[in-house]
Amino acid sequence: MADTTFLALFEDIDPAANAIEKLHEMGVTNDRMEVMSGVPINPRMLGRPHPWTNVSRLALGGAIAGFFFGLFLNFGTPNLYAVRVGGQALFPIPPGLIILFEMTMLFALLATFLGVFLESDFPNYRSLQYVPQISDGKIGVFFQIPQEEQQKFTDALNELGAESVEPTEARQL
Amino acid sequence: MAVTSKYFSGSERAHEEHHEEEHDPRESLMFDPLPRGVMNDMVMESMHTTSWKFWLVLGILAFLVATCFFYAWGYMISEGLYVAGVMRPSFWGIFLVNTVFWIGISHAGTFISAILRVMKAEFRRPFTRAAELMTTFGLIQAGASIFMHLGRVWLAYWLFPIPNERQLWPNFHSPLMWDLLAITTYVLGSTMYLFLPLIPDLAMARDRSTGWRKTFYRILALGFRGTEGEWRHLTVAMNIFAFAIIPVMFSVHTIVSWDFAMAMRPGWSSTVFGPYFVLGALHSGMGAVAIVLFIMRATMKHMDYFIRKEHFDALGKLMLIVSFAYAYFFFNDYIVQWYGGDLATDNLLHWLEGGPMAWMFFQMIGFNIVLPWLTLWNKRIRTTPWLLALIGLLINVGMYWERYVIIPVMLTINRMPFTWRLYEPRIEIFLTIGTFSMFLLFYMIASRLIPLIPVWEVQEGQMTHSLRKVGKAHLPTITEFE
Amino acid sequence: MSLMVDLNRVGAKGSLIQEEASGKWGMVIDQDICTGCQACVAACAMENNLPFVMEEDAGYGRTLHWIRIERFWEGEYPEVSATPFQPMLCQHCGSAPCEPVCPVFASVHSQAEELNLQVYNRCVGTRYCANNCPYQVRQFNWRDYHFLPFHANDFDGQLVFPLHNQLNPDVTVRQRGVMEKCTFCIQRIHKAQDTAKSEGREVEDGEFTTACAQACPTDAIKFGRLDDHESLVSQLAQQERGYQQLHELNTLPRITYLKAERAE
Repeated sequence: MADTTFLALFEDIDPAANAIEKLHEMGVTNDRMEVMSGVPINPRMLGRPHPWTNVSRLALGGAIAGFFFGLFLNFGTPNLYAVRVGGQALFPIPPGLIILFEMTMLFALLATFLGVFLESDFPNYRSLQYVPQISDGKIGVFFQIPQEEQQKFTDALNELGAESVEPTEARQL
Repeated sequence: MAVTSKYFSGSERAHEEHHEEEHDPRESLMFDPLPRGVMNDMVMESMHTTSWKFWLVLGILAFLVATCFFYAWGYMISEGLYVAGVMRPSFWGIFLVNTVFWIGISHAGTFISAILRVMKAEFRRPFTRAAELMTTFGLIQAGASIFMHLGRVWLAYWLFPIPNERQLWPNFHSPLMWDLLAITTYVLGSTMYLFLPLIPDLAMARDRSTGWRKTFYRILALGFRGTEGEWRHLTVAMNIFAFAIIPVMFSVHTIVSWDFAMAMRPGWSSTVFGPYFVLGALHSGMGAVAIVLFIMRATMKHMDYFIRKEHFDALGKLMLIVSFAYAYFFFNDYIVQWYGGDLATDNLLHWLEGGPMAWMFFQMIGFNIVLPWLTLWNKRIRTTPWLLALIGLLINVGMYWERYVIIPVMLTINRMPFTWRLYEPRIEIFLTIGTFSMFLLFYMIASRLIPLIPVWEVQEGQMTHSLRKVGKAHLPTITEFE
Repeated sequence: MSLMVDLNRVGAKGSLIQEEASGKWGMVIDQDICTGCQACVAACAMENNLPFVMEEDAGYGRTLHWIRIERFWEGEYPEVSATPFQPMLCQHCGSAPCEPVCPVFASVHSQAEELNLQVYNRCVGTRYCANNCPYQVRQFNWRDYHFLPFHANDFDGQLVFPLHNQLNPDVTVRQRGVMEKCTFCIQRIHKAQDTAKSEGREVEDGEFTTACAQACPTDAIKFGRLDDHESLVSQLAQQERGYQQLHELNTLPRITYLKAERAE
């Protein structure tokens, strides 16, 4: 594609939100735009769609897997090698509840953690489009437009309070 | 970030107009914002700055870890447990005291970063990471202490539920097995919970370092950039963690207490041990947080901007409340045991109050209950960092004595008077010094390697705080961003 | 329709215990005729390869005796009033507190012999069982006492342990770091069972006995079958003087003590 990625940096939420609105008007759709920030910003404040996340579903899946692992540990393994102790049943239920709880939680937490990795494509050491100013609290709006329209967009965004509008290239973070 | 200063601009004017007001909102970190870049630089500089004193202390601690931890443990493994002071009837000694103590310390991190996050207590923001680090490093010491106490530590993997050539699975009837699973869950859970909010700060550090640090942070930051999607996955995950790790934390110390409460022994067989231990854990944990914050503020650059009197004040209030709750459970435990009048329990209580270890028993009451009650109601004491740290230290001494009373001292008295004998720690003393040194060493190294202040959380807090004019007054207001 | 709840399934211990309450092997200890001579202690140590722990460790509560003679006294010498001697050994509880707490199944119940077993090779040395034993009869190997240089002769730098020649080949020597305790001389039980099996019969009462009972000069310790109501131990256990140690804990001990009635 002949399109180039440009980056507009903003100090503040309001100009960024206005700029995104302007970009929408000028025909840049949401999927040709990416916003980065140094703090979590609710996409609603920028007029952007809510990003979809599977983390909570993965967590639930992990919890279910952990529950069954706990079932196996407590009610399965004693049958593999039956040893009687202390006049107790082979698998009494009260201790079993503890095992079930711990395994459910462990797997749910692991799945949540790995879910973040999976969803965010971590770890990712390829070259990416990024500028260090973002972790200084600037809001970066990346958008793809044809090279020749650069001047038009730069003027429009500068008017709305962009600190800089420049073409960017992927770089080693 | 300008967002903050814009929200704040109104209040700054308000301050000028109402300078006679007693309370300056800028005493509070949330109402004293700095641009993000400045805060980043402050945190980076605090990580880079080391004086000769730092290296001297680090060297001493490293020496203590090498001798008192690794050499002493290796000596004990090669010689046998006889070099320790454990014997009949105190089959468990200081090793288990250390385990319970360190797990207790670790509870502070979860409490501050999970419960206060769920409750949206804003003062938590600058020191969640400092507390979470205590969780992870404390649990490492707790785990090491458990393994130290094993008779055949080289076979410790037999405790894990893994398929093996003996075709034997561990015994899930055993409280130690529950303990193992719970602590494993907690170690992994709290380490992941430490790491998730750390990712944006590691990315921040990556953007402003060079050399080996650049490589270090680049690997750890995993390529985080701060896109909307990344933030969303991260915040959802942190939310899940905050809610899920609370029951795990309660279960861990309850199960640790069950190691004792499940046993058929006078003094131990108590139904209140679960909540009693959890409260005790918070008690020592809060005290430890006060110590750590004091040391951070006193020794690290720029920390007096992030860690303020308001935080010590809030921490002091928490310590006081926890000490109330602790006293309630303590009283509950002992009055029930005492009133029952069972002979073995009676012997035990007489032993505690009049035996050779009575000083420990009464110091424990003094440090854990009397001292906080007498001092922490006073705001001036609460807001004096070194005083609060001192109180925290004494509470920790008291809590250490509490665990010592519960384990070796209570084990002295059993139902077979023929075997009664007082426990004397031997090599355990060195190993205890070793675990403490290792904790401090890890913490010192971490303080220069990872940003101790979650800058993005502080900035987020400063963005959400503003002063709202109500009538003639300007009152603190929090905007919910989520 | 009545609701049936299997108590064993939900964790209550009641019904299972009742089945096991009788026991198979048992012991009766008559405190009236025990003289406290410690012959049982010595015989047990010889039979079961118990090491000498030496003075320092013995003085610090680390004696390795599977059976011990407890004695108590009141007052200052010579005006002392003593209690009867009380030999204390593993009670082989039907519902043993030491068993469920072991994370690696080192302390288990033998279904066949209805004895409380310690599997040395499985033990990792958490010592929870010893804490949970209300009788405090579990012993821990704090070090390799069998290989203390003190027990050895030095031949040109080579340590020779003459005491190893008296070890009982039927019993293992335990490594340091493991728990051990009285087995009711299970090696003798098995030997008697093997003999009886080869002769095509059941083990008879009095056919064999444990080392402690064998060594007792006054026959204060008697060992035998509890499931045989005609046996000596069953009959003695029915005596009025019979009691069980810490009966109130519901551990179902297999040893019955006969209360001393002589005046001290």
